[in-house]
Amino acid sequence: MARNSHEKRTERQLLLVLLPSLILLLAFVIYPALYSVYLSFTNEALTGAAALRPRFVGIRNYVRLFNDAKFWNSLFVTFVFVMGSAVIGQFVLGLISAMALRRPIRFRQFFSSIILLPNAAPEVVAGFMWISMLAGGEHATLSRIVAFFGIDPADWLNAFPLSMIIIVNTWRGIATAMILLTAGLSTIPSEIYEAARMDGATPSQMFRRITLPLMMPTILLYMLISAVSTIAVFGLVYALTRGGPGGATEVVSIYIYNQSFTAFQLGYGAAVAVVALIISLILGIGYVRAMKVEV
Amino acid sequence: MKKTVIGGLCAILLSAVSTLAHAETIRIANHGQAGIDAMKSTVERIEKKYGVTVEVVEYPAPDKDYLTKLLTELGAGNAPDLFSIPTTAAVADMVEAGYLAPVTTEFKAWDGYANLYDVAKQLAVSPDGETYVMPFMLGIQEIYYRKDVLEKAGISTEQPKTWQELLDRAAEVKQKTGSYGLLFPAGVSWGSGAFDEGFQHLIVGSKTPQLVDADGKLDLNGEGVKDVFNVYKTLIDKDLMPVQPLLGPEPWVVPKYEMFPAGKLAATTCGSWCYIFDWGRESKNPIPDVTKIVGTWTVPGQSGGQYVLANLAAPWAVNSKSANVELAKKALMEIGSVATQVSYAARIGNIPASKDAAKDPEFQKLTELVPIHAAAGNGVFLKQASGFGTVAEGVARATEALLRKETDAAGAQKILVDYVKETLGDDMVK
Repeated sequence: MARNSHEKRTERQLLLVLLPSLILLLAFVIYPALYSVYLSFTNEALTGAAALRPRFVGIRNYVRLFNDAKFWNSLFVTFVFVMGSAVIGQFVLGLISAMALRRPIRFRQFFSSIILLPNAAPEVVAGFMWISMLAGGEHATLSRIVAFFGIDPADWLNAFPLSMIIIVNTWRGIATAMILLTAGLSTIPSEIYEAARMDGATPSQMFRRITLPLMMPTILLYMLISAVSTIAVFGLVYALTRGGPGGATEVVSIYIYNQSFTAFQLGYGAAVAVVALIISLILGIGYVRAMKVEV
Repeated sequence: MKKTVIGGLCAILLSAVSTLAHAETIRIANHGQAGIDAMKSTVERIEKKYGVTVEVVEYPAPDKDYLTKLLTELGAGNAPDLFSIPTTAAVADMVEAGYLAPVTTEFKAWDGYANLYDVAKQLAVSPDGETYVMPFMLGIQEIYYRKDVLEKAGISTEQPKTWQELLDRAAEVKQKTGSYGLLFPAGVSWGSGAFDEGFQHLIVGSKTPQLVDADGKLDLNGEGVKDVFNVYKTLIDKDLMPVQPLLGPEPWVVPKYEMFPAGKLAATTCGSWCYIFDWGRESKNPIPDVTKIVGTWTVPGQSGGQYVLANLAAPWAVNSKSANVELAKKALMEIGSVATQVSYAARIGNIPASKDAAKDPEFQKLTELVPIHAAAGNGVFLKQASGFGTVAEGVARATEALLRKETDAAGAQKILVDYVKETLGDDMVK
């Protein structure tokens, strides 16, 4: 009986400790999310008559959204952006960096610092920095570099907009990938590699048969984090291209911004945000299931 | 413990006193150092005359970001008491949203009212018949061309009479000098400029010169709209207009501040501010003797006529939810003073809306602007209507598709119509 009362008291104390976090979560995550869902069923706007007298419009925003070619374009651009920068770029380069820096090499700390550097710059600052790199004309940094190899200067952000934002986001995300994957690599006991080496396994066989399978939970966790966070990338793309030219880099976060704060249609923007949230949730659930984690 | 309590009480008292001391504070939004500098003496005058504190809050540039921040704050109910509106196209929509306090009575009773140009008074009246803005400055726009470049190449500097003549002149420039012949601001990055500084010039001289019918519906399917987009298409297809810079994040920088001063762009639409801000004494890349080297043409109509576009240059308005609307209205009238107009003209290059400015010795020193001011009453303009902000964005999208050679004139018109219908609903468009 005494033990029960002690447990209840501990439980209450724990709840009390968690209460501030719960309140913050409710105020800044749950309430805005629910409010967005509510907004998505209205014609709320930042300007015009709908700003003064918004009204309930049922599923009109969702019907419009599914018939809106620009929305589908933004989903497609987001898919390419996530695949290119998060899944292929950051993961592959992050894994290579993690494996390379695991070996005993000279100036290891120096190389680690270089890889971590991109994370030191805020998204928008990094974006502006890359604009100067990728600007058009013969005096721009990248144009001067390629001119050294006999390639004509180009206006890189306009000529290859999606590829460029993929490269920049990959550059920014390598450090996170490397840190997570290094942590994963460190959990694999070195004895396994030694045993495989004694059995005559080649480095490629060791990578395919040992490293990859044992790293799978870490890889899936990384994929979950990077895919969801890449869907939400805004500042970098906004600073670089604002979604242009011609919608070529209008990822879903930029599309939401454009609808809400350029066209000033908050209701419609909220509907897009709700759909993006559902897509992120489905993706998240998929990864969690793949990781075989109980939820 | 006792000390802590006393300290706390003192802090509360101080905070209360400080709140009371600032009870008569008005907040005004301004953006860009030139605008803030231009308002400095006005701010001091308001503070002295009404015994208030004026807090100037710097808002972001470019105009598109400024408008977004302003509308967001107005929507949230925490916007400044007084603010400028970066594009005239947004005024009617802001009125409909209930953000602006009507100032018709105060405006008409104001001693500067009688001396305003009629065009300024007309532009200030909203579709509901009320006035909500102080139309203190006018943007008077024409085509600015490099006289020296044309003369050197033996190209006529005579006023082109029709769109075709204008296009032919641009083609001749390209052929004889290799420079781009003519620029109309276009594309999404240029924001409202694609409409205010580009599309408007041509539509007023087209077969369908207004975008609003008598019922206030947007008439975007007119023949003139397609014809205007066709002018863009010709300029782009024949490589008479620089396209690549317009697709970048700051599209005005290369053509306006680099190519034109270097003579690599021979003509561009611009306003009087170009003589001061873009290529004149306030420019980072000035053209020496700018008024002699850079001449102006009016914009020809499709088949004749001459058009000088008049806009309200960032008119000021009072927040309808201001804690002190009456005081803000008084401050608004001060902003309309000739002294403020001249101060703005000197730093930004817009034209004072008051005829009285001509008598001001400080204004007389602005020799570039004096003749434009004298002719300001002849400006033409588009009738404003609810939804114009959306039309401006639609024009930006349509012209961007043209810049990217993704469509033709009819396709660009469809992009505009579809965008406006999608955003505002089918019933808003005729």
